This record gives sequence, structure tokens and C-alpha cells, in this order.
Amino acid sequence: MSVRYLKAALASGEAEKLIRFVRLHLGDGDEGVGRREIDKAWIRALELLLDVPATDRDFVLTTVREKDPATLAHLFFQLHFFLVRHSGEWIHDGDL
Amino acid sequence: MTATSDAHGQLRSGLWHTINERYPGSMITKSDDVPLASVRKPLRECRLTFVSTAGVQLKGSVPFDTVHPIGDYTFRRVPSSARPADLEIHQIKFPTVGAHRDLNVIFPIERLQELVAEGALGGLTASFFTFIGYNMDPDRVERDLAVRIADAVVEDQADIALMCPA
Amino acid sequence: MSAQVRAPRVVFAPFMMGHHFGVPFHRELQRRMIFEALDHLVHAGVSGEIRVVPITWAQARKEGRAIEEQLR
Repeated sequence: MSVRYLKAALASGEAEKLIRFVRLHLGDGDEGVGRREIDKAWIRALELLLDVPATDRDFVLTTVREKDPATLAHLFFQLHFFLVRHSGEWIHDGDL
Repeated sequence: MTATSDAHGQLRSGLWHTINERYPGSMITKSDDVPLASVRKPLRECRLTFVSTAGVQLKGSVPFDTVHPIGDYTFRRVPSSARPADLEIHQIKFPTVGAHRDLNVIFPIERLQELVAEGALGGLTASFFTFIGYNMDPDRVERDLAVRIADAVVEDQADIALMCPA
Repeated sequence: MSAQVRAPRVVFAPFMMGHHFGVPFHRELQRRMIFEALDHLVHAGVSGEIRVVPITWAQARKEGRAIEEQLR
């Protein structure tokens, strides 16, 4: 959807339209693929934390505390793509 | 549209409708045609620029933002004297398999350089201009990004522009 | 798609997305696409006119493979 349509959907609480857009973006225009990509990213994130490795928690907390919400949302999308790439199952043509 | 174009089908028929169904409102629509501007001098005297949505950019430059859900509204200048080895593509929405082997399939920089060397074209603008085609705000594309690119093309003193989507 | 965009002059070939000037190492095809655009620039009669290049993607790929064979 265009920004105009997304804002209209947001205003009228049409969550399904909004998440459908996200799935299309993450799934290269295929909503079913997008669903699987979202799951893949979360599974990969979980996988990375299963053994409770040492992580830079200061960085995580500082970033969340200090960065503005839009930047963090942008980071959220960047992390999705990082995690799906890290999973080894890259479905997209081309490169980030 | 000419009679010859009516006789040929699109490789992916219905693509326009598919895109409009999945991304309603994302395509710029026009109700009329842009008046043709005449070429005022022979091609061998013309300075050509190339405008592309293939996301081609100099290696090491800030990558186009392909993760942002609403798109990237910046453009890059690519020196028209560059070699393909100096360039890279940051795009995930089109098949780059051919471009990674030979960039000229989507960004014919070497072919255009050759045409100048042969005298078929008068020259190339100092820069070519690239952006990415994934953008969900057609108003911002039309009223901001396109205007900035057009201004840059004029500033580079282009006589003619070859434009290609990805 | 080409017709809907309503660019002032359009050259169309039924090539794969991301390969609008042809196939790798097929220098002549890539040049041909550029020359078609330049010729259309000069000779197009009305705004929105679409010139269709009479070549199929299959033919382009076949020629490309032959060229790559010779390069090996």
C-alpha cells in the first residue's frame, strides 16, 4: 500500500492491512513467504540466545533508552533482515 | 501507444494490476502524456545522462536503504567514467544475477562510454543518477526525489536522458 | 506496465526484470537496446509512443550462451 493507504488503515484500525503490508515487504511481494520470513527471524534470534551467550546488554539498554522511537523501529526492520540473512536462508534477489 | 506495441504482450501480463492490488496507491498515475521535447542537435553532439532505479552506487558509499518499509528517497551520483568493478548494487527487489556478472545488462555504463569513444554520442554527463524503485510514497517521489534528480540532471548539462527501471 | 507509466518515449523488450539491456557479455544486444532508445528519441511521433524491440528473451539467452561458450 502507499503511505496514504497505510495511514488510512492505521486511522481506522485496520490492523490486517498493515501487517499484510509488512509481510509483503519482508516476503518479496508474497504474503505467505512474508509470514515465514517473520517466523524465521524470530527463530534465528531465539537460536542465538539458547545457550545464554554473553551479550552486550549495556549496548542494548543504552540504545533503547537513548535512541528515538523511529530509529529503533528502523533498527527493528534492519535486524529482521540481519537475522534472516544470518539464518542462511536468504530468499531475496540481490543484496542489502 | 503504437499499433506495434498493441500486438505484443507483456512478459508478465497483468503486472500493473498485481502491483496495484498488493500496493494500492503506490503507483504514480497520470491522466495525460508529457509533451515531447525535441532533440535540438545531432546525437553525436549530445551529452547523455543515464537515470536508473537499479540501486547502483560506488563501492563504499552509504548503501541504499532496502530494509525501510516505506522506501529510500535519496539518489546517488555515479561517475560516468566509473568501471563496473568500482560499483555495487544495493537492492533486494529485482534479480541481480545478470548484473553481478555483467553490470551492463541493467546499467550499461561501458556501452555508453564506448558510444562516446566511437563518436555516436557527444559525451556523457559527469554523473549518472541512481535510486531504488521500492518506494511507497508516490507523492514524495514525484514532488521531492524526482525534482531533485531532474535539477541535478539539468545542472550536469544533459541534452538527453536515458532512463531505465530495474 | 510500459503503457501505464506514460513516459514520453518508451522502448520495450520482453526481458527479465533486472536485465533490460539484455544478457551478460552480449555486447551487441546491449548496444542494440541503447540504439533503439536513441533512434526512438529522434523519431518518436507522439508522446507515450512505445517501440517494441522484436526479440524474445529466449533468443537473447540463447545468443548469450553461445557468446559465453566462445569466451571460455
